[in-house]
Amino acid sequence: MRARSAFSIQRDVIFAIFIREMVTRFSSYTLGNIWLVLEPLLMMTLFMLLFGARGRGAYGFVEAPVFIFSAFLTFRLLWTYTMRQTASARNGAKGLLEYRQVRLFDVFMTRTIIEGCLFFVVGFILAMGLVWLGYDPWPTDFLLTLWYCVILWLFAASFGMLACLVGSFAREIEKMVSMLTMPMMFISAVFFPMSAVPKHFWPYLTWNPLMHGMELIREAWFGNYSSPVADFDYFMGWMLVCFAFSLATYRLTWRRILSR
Amino acid sequence: MIRFDNVSKYYPTRFGPKYVFRDINLVIPDDRDVAIVGANGAGKSTLMRLLGGIDFPSSGKIKTDRFISWPLALSSGLQGSLTGRENVRFICRIHGMEADRDTEEYVKEFSELGDNFELPVGGYSSGMKSKYSFAVSMGFDFDTYLMDEIMSVGDAGFRKKCESAISNKRENANIILVSHNTDLLRRQCNAAILLAYGRADFYESVDQAIFRYQNL
Repeated sequence: MRARSAFSIQRDVIFAIFIREMVTRFSSYTLGNIWLVLEPLLMMTLFMLLFGARGRGAYGFVEAPVFIFSAFLTFRLLWTYTMRQTASARNGAKGLLEYRQVRLFDVFMTRTIIEGCLFFVVGFILAMGLVWLGYDPWPTDFLLTLWYCVILWLFAASFGMLACLVGSFAREIEKMVSMLTMPMMFISAVFFPMSAVPKHFWPYLTWNPLMHGMELIREAWFGNYSSPVADFDYFMGWMLVCFAFSLATYRLTWRRILSR
Repeated sequence: MIRFDNVSKYYPTRFGPKYVFRDINLVIPDDRDVAIVGANGAGKSTLMRLLGGIDFPSSGKIKTDRFISWPLALSSGLQGSLTGRENVRFICRIHGMEADRDTEEYVKEFSELGDNFELPVGGYSSGMKSKYSFAVSMGFDFDTYLMDEIMSVGDAGFRKKCESAISNKRENANIILVSHNTDLLRRQCNAAILLAYGRADFYESVDQAIFRYQNL
């Protein structure tokens, strides 16, 4: 055994968990890791057919499939999946915490990274499919879209982390989070732009930071869409507070969680 | 040297904190193989977890400059759905070993698992699991090995093999052994820690510690 720096230990551990997660996640399925891409792919195709067939060209600024693509890709993969995966990190960490160099935080980080990569892989495959069908799915302002996506991703990771940490003291949190997942999709401007919502509903919907995230991404993605309500500072503020709060909670509770 | 400075450990229960250790001060020398004896619930496994760095004292400090293995217990830290080889690879990776082919082959050979090495660990019998975990730990060069009832399961032939493997490691490593098998402790160890009444006492002689333990 030779001594390693803290950084190289963390890197080794994250890589090891990454491989382990990749191997175990779908190992009991016939198609194996193809499900990693297939699962979001199927779901989004379904939504595209469902909403796309109904509202073809209804929003004026973009074709329905591309609209659905941009919204569902970011919301489901970056928000829902990342949040769900980090929130359930404690189940994934069972058996891992028998080794002193592996901590719960490594599992959080690995899962967050996996979901981030998955977002790119699935997004790329689906975008190629759309190109093949004659649409133009690429974001107008790619870097700005990416920047908003990173914020949304970190927000999801820190929210999931917080849910996991608090949930290990009160399991009710798990139930509440899974109960909230579905309604959040309806009030976060996922399958409609805020410009299509009557003005008197805006004061209620603008409380939701996710709605701002979705609207900002939409603005950056489609050059000719301008959101009537999106507020970057509000969205960023939520992310930063949630991020700091989750890290602080981790630091305060991780040892107590070990003996649970 | 592993030094315990005023280490206390309690677990919160609904009857209030339940102390396992209260202010123990202890030094485990590098050149002694230590037996840990104590009744059920005296804190043997907790002590192992503290030594293995996967649990922490409620107060006090444990100081050491040695590479200590993970606490080897039956099937601990193994992912049932992964094969024997994949589990070895995982453990190699977290220990920063790049070329792990040799370790894999060593474990395969030592554990006498044959083809089962390529099958999920979840399907192993408890004897196979103990052989496997023991072989995995022998594949790594630690300064101190923590063994929690790991040697009492395998068959007679394998047990002999384990003991000789440990003897080889002894030149530059020591072991800390938890077992209820007093013969094994007498054979393998030359010092002991007796856990009782929230205290931990170091004994220079295993026989003495066992005698005290049997007459608690």
